Parts: sequence; C-alpha cells; structure tokens
Amino acid sequence: MIHPVDILLILVLLSVLFAFASSRLPVLIRILAFQGVVVSIVPFFLEHEMTAGGIIFTTATLTIRGIIIPWSFYSMIKKMGIKREVETIVSYNASVFASLLLIVAAPMLSHKFNMISFSGGTLITSTAITLVVAGMFLLMARRNAIAMVLGYIMMENGIYLIGTALSSGAQHIVEFGILLDVLAGVMIMAIMLQSIKQKYDNLDTAQLSKLKE
Amino acid sequence: MIESIILWILAICLSPFYAAVILKVKAFFGGKKGPPLLIHYFTLIKLMQKGSVYSNSTTFIFKMGPIASLSAALMALLFLPIAGRSPVLSFNGDVIFVLYVLGLGRFFTIAAAMDTASPFEGMGAAREAFFPIICEATMFMILILFFQLTGELTFAAYFTGIQTSGLWRVAGAPMLFVVMAFFIILLTENSRVPVDDPATHLELTMIHEVMVLDHSGPDFGLIELGAFIKLLFYSTFVARLICPIHAAHPFVNFVIFCAALSGVYVAIGVTESVMARFRMDRVSHFVLTSFALAFFATVITLEFVK
Amino acid sequence: MEAFFFSIGVIIAGGTLPLMLHRHFTLMKTVGVLSISAGCLIGLTNSLFQLFRPETDAVSFKYLHAFSLSFVIDGLSAFFLVPVFFVSFLAALYSFHYLNTPEKSFRTAASYLFFSLLIASMTLVVTAANIITFMLFWEIMSLSSFFLVVYDYHKIETRKAGYLYFVFSHAGAMLILSAFGLMYGFSGSFGFDGAAILPEWVKIVVFVLAFAGFGSKAGVFPFHVWLPHAHPAAPSHISAVMSGVMIKIGIYGILRMYVALNYHAPLFGEILVIAGMISGILGVVYALAQQDIKRMLAYSSIENMGIILIGLGIGMIGMSSGNPLMAVLGFAGSLLHVLNHSIFKSLLFMGAGIVIKKTGTHSIDALGGLMKKMRITGMTFLIGSLAISGLPPLNGFVGEFFIYLGGFKGVGLDKLSFVLSLMAIISLAVIGGLALACFTKVVGVVFQGEPRSESAVKADEKEPMMLIPMVVLAALCPIIGVFPKAVFLMAIRGVSALNLGYGRIPFSPFLEMTENISQAAAVFLLIVFCMLALRFFLYRQKTITRTGTWGCGFTRPTVKMQYTGSSYARSITDFFKPVTALNEDHPAVQGVFPAKTYYSSHARDIAERYMESVFVHPVLFFFDKLRWIQQGDIHPYIGYILLAIVILLFFV
Repeated sequence: MIHPVDILLILVLLSVLFAFASSRLPVLIRILAFQGVVVSIVPFFLEHEMTAGGIIFTTATLTIRGIIIPWSFYSMIKKMGIKREVETIVSYNASVFASLLLIVAAPMLSHKFNMISFSGGTLITSTAITLVVAGMFLLMARRNAIAMVLGYIMMENGIYLIGTALSSGAQHIVEFGILLDVLAGVMIMAIMLQSIKQKYDNLDTAQLSKLKE
Repeated sequence: MIESIILWILAICLSPFYAAVILKVKAFFGGKKGPPLLIHYFTLIKLMQKGSVYSNSTTFIFKMGPIASLSAALMALLFLPIAGRSPVLSFNGDVIFVLYVLGLGRFFTIAAAMDTASPFEGMGAAREAFFPIICEATMFMILILFFQLTGELTFAAYFTGIQTSGLWRVAGAPMLFVVMAFFIILLTENSRVPVDDPATHLELTMIHEVMVLDHSGPDFGLIELGAFIKLLFYSTFVARLICPIHAAHPFVNFVIFCAALSGVYVAIGVTESVMARFRMDRVSHFVLTSFALAFFATVITLEFVK
Repeated sequence: MEAFFFSIGVIIAGGTLPLMLHRHFTLMKTVGVLSISAGCLIGLTNSLFQLFRPETDAVSFKYLHAFSLSFVIDGLSAFFLVPVFFVSFLAALYSFHYLNTPEKSFRTAASYLFFSLLIASMTLVVTAANIITFMLFWEIMSLSSFFLVVYDYHKIETRKAGYLYFVFSHAGAMLILSAFGLMYGFSGSFGFDGAAILPEWVKIVVFVLAFAGFGSKAGVFPFHVWLPHAHPAAPSHISAVMSGVMIKIGIYGILRMYVALNYHAPLFGEILVIAGMISGILGVVYALAQQDIKRMLAYSSIENMGIILIGLGIGMIGMSSGNPLMAVLGFAGSLLHVLNHSIFKSLLFMGAGIVIKKTGTHSIDALGGLMKKMRITGMTFLIGSLAISGLPPLNGFVGEFFIYLGGFKGVGLDKLSFVLSLMAIISLAVIGGLALACFTKVVGVVFQGEPRSESAVKADEKEPMMLIPMVVLAALCPIIGVFPKAVFLMAIRGVSALNLGYGRIPFSPFLEMTENISQAAAVFLLIVFCMLALRFFLYRQKTITRTGTWGCGFTRPTVKMQYTGSSYARSITDFFKPVTALNEDHPAVQGVFPAKTYYSSHARDIAERYMESVFVHPVLFFFDKLRWIQQGDIHPYIGYILLAIVILLFFV
C-alpha cells in the first residue's frame, strides 16, 4: 500500500515537470503555490500526534507558502503587466529531458545519503533533492528575473521538505524562522524587481550584464 | 472466439456513433443543437454512393492509402480486448506488432498525401511523420511499465477482465500519469485539438485533414471509417484504465464499458471545446509531455515495486 | 570445403578473364558477369548446405614454415557467407547493364577484377581461422573496395572520398592489428582459440580495441565518417555490396572476437547498446537531413548497424546476467537483421543507382514523379522502404521484433540491465519512427508528385539485367516477412556457433514466435485483400474523373510549389538541433525588384566537425613540424637509409 504522503509527493514531482515545461509565469506561480501547500501539509501526515503549537506553525506555514507568497507574485506581475512568456537559456524540450534525468537521479542520490530511514514515505528525500536541484536549474536556465526568484522559492520548498524529513518535534521554530526570512526576501525582491523594471522596461536579466564596467 | 469476433464487429459499427458524441459535446458548449448522433453513418453512406475524382499527379499509391490505413486500424482492433473480453488474436509481443502495423497505415497515408504534389498535403505529411515518433516512444515507455507489472507483452494481459484493476493495485498513483499520457497520445494520434483542429477553415494549420484533401467518394469514406476505428482503439485504453470494473455478466460488462467509453469521448469533446489549438512548434512540446509522464510513472513505480 | 574454394576460383576467374578480353566490351562483360555470378551461386548453395550441417569444416595450408593459412566454416561463418554470396551474385547481374560505357572498357575490366577480389576476400575473411589469415584477407578486402570506390577517379570528390575511406580503413586495421598483437603477445598462438586463456583485463582491452577497429568498418558512430562519402562516390552495385555486406564483415569481426574471448563481462553489452543507440538515432537523423539520395542511404546503413549493435548488446547483457532466452533473442534478432538489411539495403542502392543513371542527378529535391515512368524501380523501392522502416509484414520487422522481445526480457532483471534495456527499447522505437519519416520522404519526393526538374522528366527503365536483381530482392522482403521460419532457423544455427554454453538451442519456443508473426501477417494480408475487394465492389459502375490536384483555392500551381525533401525533414531536424546544425546560405533580398536569389542548406555531421578540430588539425600540425625531413634531395635520403640500417644493426 502506498503511503498517502507519497501520492502527494508524486504530484509535487510532477509539478516540477510542468514547471520545467511551462512557459508562462502565472502557471509557474500556480505550480509554486501548489508545491507550497503540499510541502507544508506533509507534517500533518508524518506525525501521529501534533501539538497545538505544531498545528499553529504548520497552518501559518501553509498560509505563507501557499497563499501569501504566490499571491504577492501574482499581484506583482499584474501590476507590472507582464504577459510575455519566460525566455529561456536552455530550451523547453531540453528542460523536460533534464527534469526527467533529475527525477531518475534523485532517488539514487537519496539512497546514497541513506536518509530514507526516517519514518513516513519513501519519496520524501528524493522529492526534496529534486526540488532543490530543480530550483537551481530554473535559476540557471531562465532569463526572466521573476522566474529566477520562483526557482529560488522552489529550492526553499525542497529545503523545508528535507527539514521535515530529518527532524521531528522542535523543528517548527527553526523552519518558521527560515520562512520569515524567505518572506522578507520575497518582499525585498519585489521592490528590486519593480525598480529594475522601471529602469530597463523589462525583466530580462541579460540586461543586467550591461552594468558590468 | 465467436464472442470476440462479435465484439470486434460491434466495435467497428459503434465507432462512428461515438465520434459523433464529440460533435454533440462541442455543439453543447457552443450553445447549439448540433448534428444528430448518427451523422457519421449518414456521411459514410453518402460517400460510399459517390464516384471519385483523382488528381492527374497520383499513382496507385494514392488508392492504397485508404486501404492500408483502414486495414491497419482493423488489424489493431483484432488484438484489443473490447469490454474486457479476450481479443480475437493474441500472442506474446502482439503490442509491438500492432504499433508497427499502425505505422504501416501511417506510411501509406503519408505516401498518398505526397502523391498529389500539393504543397499543403506535403506540409501535413511532414507533421504526421513527426509527432507520432514521440508518441511511439511514449507507447513503448508505457509498455515497459506494464511489462514490469505483469510480465507480459500482450494487450490481453493489460486490458482483459480483472487484469486492469490489478495494474492499479500494484502501481497506484503512477497509473494516473499513464492515463494522462494515453490521453495525450490519443489526442495526437487521432489529430484532435489541441494538436490539430479537424474543423478549422485554413488548410495551412491542419495535420490529418489536409492530407486527405484530394480523396473523395468511397476512398474518403474508408479513410473516415479507419479514423473512427483508430480513435476507438485508443479510447478503449483510456476507458479500461479509468473504469477497470469487471462484472460477471458479459452484457452488464459491455454496458459498463460503453458508458466508460462515452466518458472518454465526452472528455475529448470537452477538451476540444475549452482549449485552442497549439502553435505548431508547441505541439512537439505537448507530445513530449506525454513521454515525460510515462517515463515518470515508470521510474516512480520502480521505486515502489521493489 | 572443396566446393567453397572452387567457387572462389570461379569468381576470381570472372575477375581475370575480362582483363584479357577488354577489347570486346560486351563479351568481356558477359564473361565476367557469368563467371562471377556462377561462382557466387556455387558458393551460396554450398554455404547453405554447410549451415545446416552439424560438423564444421577446417583446412590449413602451410606457408614457408613461418605461419599457416587456415580456414574454418562453422555456423557463424556459414551464416555470413549466405548474404555475401547472394548479394554479390545479384550485384554482378546488375553491373551488366549498369557499367555501359564502352569507352571505359579497360576500366570496367579492372573493376571486375577488384570486384571479384572483394567478394573472394570477404568470404575468406569470414572463414579465416587464425589472426594472420584474417588480417591478410581483411587488407585485401579494404584495398579492393578502395579501388572500386575510386572508379570515377577523374572527379575530385570521388578521389577525396576514396582517400578518406583509405585512411579510415587503415586506422581501423591498425586498431584491429593492435588487438591481435595483444592477443598473440599474451597467448603465444596465432589461432583465435588461444584468446580464451588471456587475463581478464587484457580481454577487455582487446575487445575495446577490436570494437573500435571493426566499428570503423561497420560504420559505428563516430567512426562512420568515411561511409557517407564513399557510398555516393562508388558505382551503385559496389555501394550495394559495400553497404549490404561488406560493412557487416565488421559486425562479424566483433562477434568473432566475442566468441574467441569467451568472456561475458557486462561491460561489453553496455558498450554495444550505447554505441548502437547513438549510431542508430544519429544515423537516421542525419539520413533524414540529407539531400543526396545515396548519402542518405549510407546514413541509413549507419542506423541499421546501430540496430544490429543494440541486438548484439542485448544478447551480451543476457549472457552476462545469465538469461539464456534474452541472449538468444538478442543475438538471433541481430543476425536476422544482418541478413534482412543486406537484402533491402542492396535493393535500395540498386534502385538509387537506376534513378541516378537515368536522371543524372543525386539530389532528392531535383527529382519527383518517377513512379509513373519507372514503375518497377518505384515499386521495388517502395517495398524496400517499407522493409527498412521495419514495418510488418516485411522482413525488416522480423529482426527488430526479436530484438524487442530480448530487450523486454532485460526489463525484469537487475537495475543496470533495466536501464540498458529501457534505453535499447526506447531508441529502437524512436529509430523506427524516424526511419519511417526518412523513407516516406524519399519515396514521396523522388517517386511521387510531379517532376521537380527537367532531368526527372525523361527517365525510363529498359534494362532487364538491372531490374531482375531488384525484383528478386523485393520479392524476398515480403516472403521473409510472412514466413520468417527458415531464415530464423539459419540465424539460430549462427547463434549456436557462438559457444554460449547452452548446448543445443531448442527450436520450439522460437518457432512459436515465428509462427505468430506468420499468422498475424497472414491475417493482415487477408484483411487487406478484403478491403481491396470491398473497394472494388464500391467502385462498380461509378464515374471516375481525373483532374488537377486541389490547390486549396490557388488556381495556378507549379511543380516548384511542391513540398521538398528538405522542408519535409525540417521540423524533425530542428527537434534534434544540437546535433544537426544546418549551414544555410542565402543572400538577403534587396530592393523593390530583387535580383534572382538562391538558398542552400546542408546539415553538418557532428562527428565530422569534431574529428576535424580534435583529431585532424593536431595531427596535421604535428606532421607539419616534421616537414624538414623531406629535403627533396636524394643525398639526405640515402643518409636516412644508412642511419636506419645502423640503428637496426645495433638494436635488433
């Protein structure tokens, strides 16, 4: 029988695939929101008894990851009126192949780290590794600054997932601290992106290389 | 055996009806009444009564096209368990044979299109040659998964009786991706929206319809029938997978199967109504998604089955 | 064995007699063709007889007490002898009308000499029982085929192609020789059987070296560079023999080494599957991008070598992981594909030969509508194209089917076998789809539609000697496709000579598979006939009108508006962009009334490109530095000779 967490995580892995294949920012944001929701409800399934504090923290995480961050991105692109597709450095077909390779490689890596001993599903660590590497890939392969920030958020989702898998009990406080940092980071980036946009009239990071010298 | 042959003939006879379900659904979304459900039968009869016009450029290959594509579809259907009953023919490796027979049908369809010397048909032929390559890779990916689960290489082992529910029990959630991958293959192989729009007015943007522009009369009727059967063939996979219920009584079984099949056709109709056709260079991207899904399902299952 | 040598004698006679008769053109050709084909027929019957005999024949000739020339005909040799004799027989017949320029009488006679030498050396390589014999005839094979390639030596590109072929075949021979040297150094015997006692690491090194060497003959990526140059340059019956059988001698070499080493490391299977996958996919992608019909067929040979290697790799994985069924399926499937490919590839080269001879152009995009003027060529080419795309009920499907079955057997094994089998199966599927695209392009553009240039208008076909071999080959395709039992038994005989250690291989499970194919093919043909009957019935007493093609509203279509081969292939080659970079050349259109302009494109082979920059330039640079040795004066040269003698005296 498959652990319920695993079904959720399979969907997360699938969302990585779609994130690599999609060329529109709203889709990418929706995928990120979905990942945020899934990643933050995983603790509900893993721990048998939740403390009241745990429930509160998890719900707060859910709100921030699943609603506040995606919503702020959404409003950002709406305000800036970005409708164009995400420009790529690595083409979409190649990205899809890369994500497939990643999904194959991640379980092997997680076997190597031998982190599956923790209770719960078998897929947590490999999903987490996939998310981290996928986030880096998005950072590397997309030129649009917002897509890059989204890649960063995806990485953060993966790190949170690793944290959930490895620690238990008192992890919420640390995690929550990290989350608040991320939130602050997102806000700062929003402001910065807005000024980049005002300055250069688009968010192509290739423009930034003009700043050299 | 007799039962299988009866089911085979029944499936052939029902295929135009089901194709009309798509039209009805599309009409519903458009707020129209739509053509009657038997429209395709009327069309076929009308076409069969007509004569034909042939282009001066064509040779005998042009006339072989409809025959090869229809024969390939009929042949494929022989190996398919309809309504979960055992198929007419079945042997170890029949899946490979069927996929390649369908390839033969495709070869002649393309060759017939190239025979007319029309630039539009050549364009359609080039697309018809391209997209199924990825579909085939996906099909074989799914076959690898199914072989892992059942140890068999026949359609009968995947879609007969309780076998299909067995697939779900062993593999679980990844089967969902297989269903999605199959649905994408269905849309691509049968030239439906969002890969191709059979109802568009501009020949430049078509795939399948533009290839058969010059066929007329009974020849065109045979092509249409072949297309309906092929659509039924792929829909049966999806129908069996989404509805693996196996009832004891053959008749009840058949009714359940027909209902599931209608569900698939309605889904096609809904897809066509709510989606627009992709830009041509995006299509390969879309079809590649099916491969990614199948690959993904296989890898995930490998993690679980161990 | 006597019959075998007798047949070779007759073939050689067929090569030497024309030299004496070269003043009488037709008589010379008749004598040459008759003698060579008679020799081939004797050899063919003999090798079929040998194939089904349980014992092996061996014979040995001592030479100067230094070494012996020994020959053995076992199942594997006999299996490879069959296509060699058969294709050579038909190619000889084909050459009668193909070489029809009396002005080049002497050259034609010489070409018969080298042709007979090529056939003889191929058969002798396949039967060689020790290293020396093998290497001797391998060299004769390479050299005679080189002389055949440069038949049209007055053309610069032919000379270039010949030179490239010469370099590649000798670099390959060097690698083979180093593998053999290692074998001799460690075992101390010239025989192949001595190799079984080598230490394991030596076996691996020997196999890798031999694989690279034989791979360069077989056209395995990236050693294939000579192939797409040499095949278009050679006369078509020579291309048919070279592509149909000679490159398979490379496959034979790999198999012979595998038998001799008797070592079942998983590494061998991995190398072969991966090499096969790369050659297969890239071969067919480049084939699709070609505009020269014979170049395209040459690339398609690379693709088919890939399929054969994948089959061999699956067989070797089956051996190393102890799965007899997988091993036999893989090996038998690839041997079947060897035989089948020799049939349809020589057919396609012969067809291309007629097309080029009649229209005077190699360019696919300049042709069109040939089906109406060259009915038999068109029909046979169509059958060959269907077969090479691996479609049932033709023979190409049979070999691939068994390779697939073997591959699926590997899916259930350990993780490594799973990954390799997965790659093998998916690449076979992709190759199948791409081959279909490639050959619909050729058939569609060359034989269908309307003529695209003047040269394609005046084509005809009248020479029976060119058509008969093609009809024979085309007839074999569906026959083997529907009744694969006999050829499958032949392949099983070949596999049992591989010393897999399974004893006698039982026929019954495999016979059931062949019967399944026969049955399914029969049902399919029945359905097709029913549909034909239905169509006939539907068209009774109907009015048939003939008119122009529907132009989608455009009323004055011209033949130039047809889809060309390049545009047909463009979307697929774009998909494989990283490996199929197009060199495009077209000046920008300028002004209100622009002058006549042009567009040309050419897909570059990635191996060719990198070999140039990684290998050729450094080698040229290095040898450029040694230029000073060449003084152009005789005195330093005498000094060199003296120096060499002195050094030899001191050190040897």
